Amino acid sequence: MAWQQLAAAQPLLIGLILLWSASGKLIGPDVAEQAKKTALPRLVGEQRAAPVYRTVGGIEVVLALALLLPPVSILKPLAAAALFVGFTGYLIYAKLVVPEASCGCTGAAAKPVGYRAIARASLLLATSLATLTTTEGWWSAGPATLALLLEAAAYVVLSAELDRYWLLPLRRLRVRLSHPLAGAKSTGTPLAATQRRLMHSPAYRAVTGLLRSDIRDYWDDEDWRYVSYTAKYDGRPATAVFAVPHTGDAVRVAVVDDDSGQTLYRPVALPA
Amino acid sequence: MTTTMDRRALLTRAALGATGLVAASAMGSLAPEAAFAADQPFAVAGQPDPNFAEGLITGRNKDLLQVQGSDGRLHKIQLTGVTSIWKLRPTTIDEARIGDGLYARGVKLPDGVLAAESVWLNIVNLDVMVNSIGRSSLNLDHHGQKVVGHVQPGITAAVYNGTPAVSDLTLLKVGRHVQVIGAWRPGTNEIDIATIYAAG
Repeated sequence: MAWQQLAAAQPLLIGLILLWSASGKLIGPDVAEQAKKTALPRLVGEQRAAPVYRTVGGIEVVLALALLLPPVSILKPLAAAALFVGFTGYLIYAKLVVPEASCGCTGAAAKPVGYRAIARASLLLATSLATLTTTEGWWSAGPATLALLLEAAAYVVLSAELDRYWLLPLRRLRVRLSHPLAGAKSTGTPLAATQRRLMHSPAYRAVTGLLRSDIRDYWDDEDWRYVSYTAKYDGRPATAVFAVPHTGDAVRVAVVDDDSGQTLYRPVALPA
Repeated sequence: MTTTMDRRALLTRAALGATGLVAASAMGSLAPEAAFAADQPFAVAGQPDPNFAEGLITGRNKDLLQVQGSDGRLHKIQLTGVTSIWKLRPTTIDEARIGDGLYARGVKLPDGVLAAESVWLNIVNLDVMVNSIGRSSLNLDHHGQKVVGHVQPGITAAVYNGTPAVSDLTLLKVGRHVQVIGAWRPGTNEIDIATIYAAG
C-alpha cells in the first residue's frame, strides 16, 4: 500500500522537474547560444541544434502537464520513461564523444556532463518506471507525497547547476570557520612582491633598456634580496644585479661584465 | 654549484657598490661585426615575430631544444648559460624537459636557431572560479573544466586588490573569481600556483 502511494506520488515530482527543465530550454534570450554549447550540434548538425533543443523543451512541457493533470494513464509514465532513456543515452554519448559540451539538461547553467548528471537522469528514469506500477493519481498519494522531499533533495544534490545555492555556501562557511590554507603561510617575501617593488624602482628604470631576459637568478643574503637579469652593455654580455632591501632603503643596481666580472655601470644619486 | 655561489658573491658585492667601476670601453672595443651581430631583426606586421617561439618541447639534444609550435611550425631553440628559465620560479636550464610547453624570446640566428634569452616553461594564465579550498590545493573551475591548483609553500603568493604579494592565502574565498599564474603539470589538469590575483 505504502509502495503504491509512493509510486503514485512520483508524477508530481517528475512533472515539476520537467517544467523547470523545459523553462531553461524555452525561455530566455540566448537559448540558441545554449543549444550550441551542448552535444546537439555534433549529434544532429549545427543548423538543427537550436530547433531540436526547443522541441525537447516543448515535449517536456507537454509531458509535464500530462503527468500533473488527470486522468491517470499508463501511457504517461511510459512516455516519461522513454524520454529519460533518451536523456540518459544522450548524456552518456555526450560524455564519451563531446566531453567538453555542456549538459544542457536544465537550461541556463552551462555545466559539462558529469557522472552526477547521468545519475540524475537515471534517478528520473527509475521514478518514472516506479509510476508504471500504480493506477492512482498523485493527488491521492496522501502522506507519501512527503517522501518526494527526500527525492527532491537527492535531485538537488545530483544537480551541478544548483551547487552554488547550497554546496558553495557550505564550503564558504567551512572556510570561514577554519581556513584550510592558514598553515601554508611562509615567512619569506614572495618573489612576486620583490619583482613588483623592483619594477617600480628608479634603479630598474635606469637600466631597463639594457635588460635582455626575465629574472635569471635570485637569492637572499642578510637584509637584501638579490635578483639578476641577463643584460647587454655597450654591446658586451653582462648581468644586471639588483639589491632589493627587505625593509626601508632604496633598490640598488649594478651592471657586471660577464667575462671580466667587473662592474660596468652603477647609476648613482637615483631619485627616491 | 660552487661557481653559482662564487657568481652570486661577486654580484652581491657589485650590487651593494663594494666593487670599483670600469668603463666598458676600457675593456677593448668590440669588432663592429660582433657588435652588430646581435642586432635583432624586427618583426614585420602580419608576419610571425622572428624572435619569439612557442610550442611543445619534442626533443632535447644537450642544450638545443626541438619545439613543435601550436601552429605547426618547428623551432630549434638554443639555451645558454645566460638564458633565464622560468618554471614556476626562476630555475636552471636542466629543468626544460620533453613534453613541457614553452614560450621563448631571444635572437634568431642566421642558421634559423633561436638563441633564447628568456624561456617560460608550462606557464599558464587562467581566469577561474574557486570551487573549494583544501589544505594544500585549490579546486578551480575554468569555464566548466576542473583544474587542481597546488599551493607550493614558499613560492605561491597572493595579490589582493593589487596590493603587494603576500604568502598569506587565507583571504581567498570559495565561489570567487581569481586570476592564476602558474605552471601546468604536463598531461594533467593540475597546475602549481605561482601567483593568484584576487579581490580581498
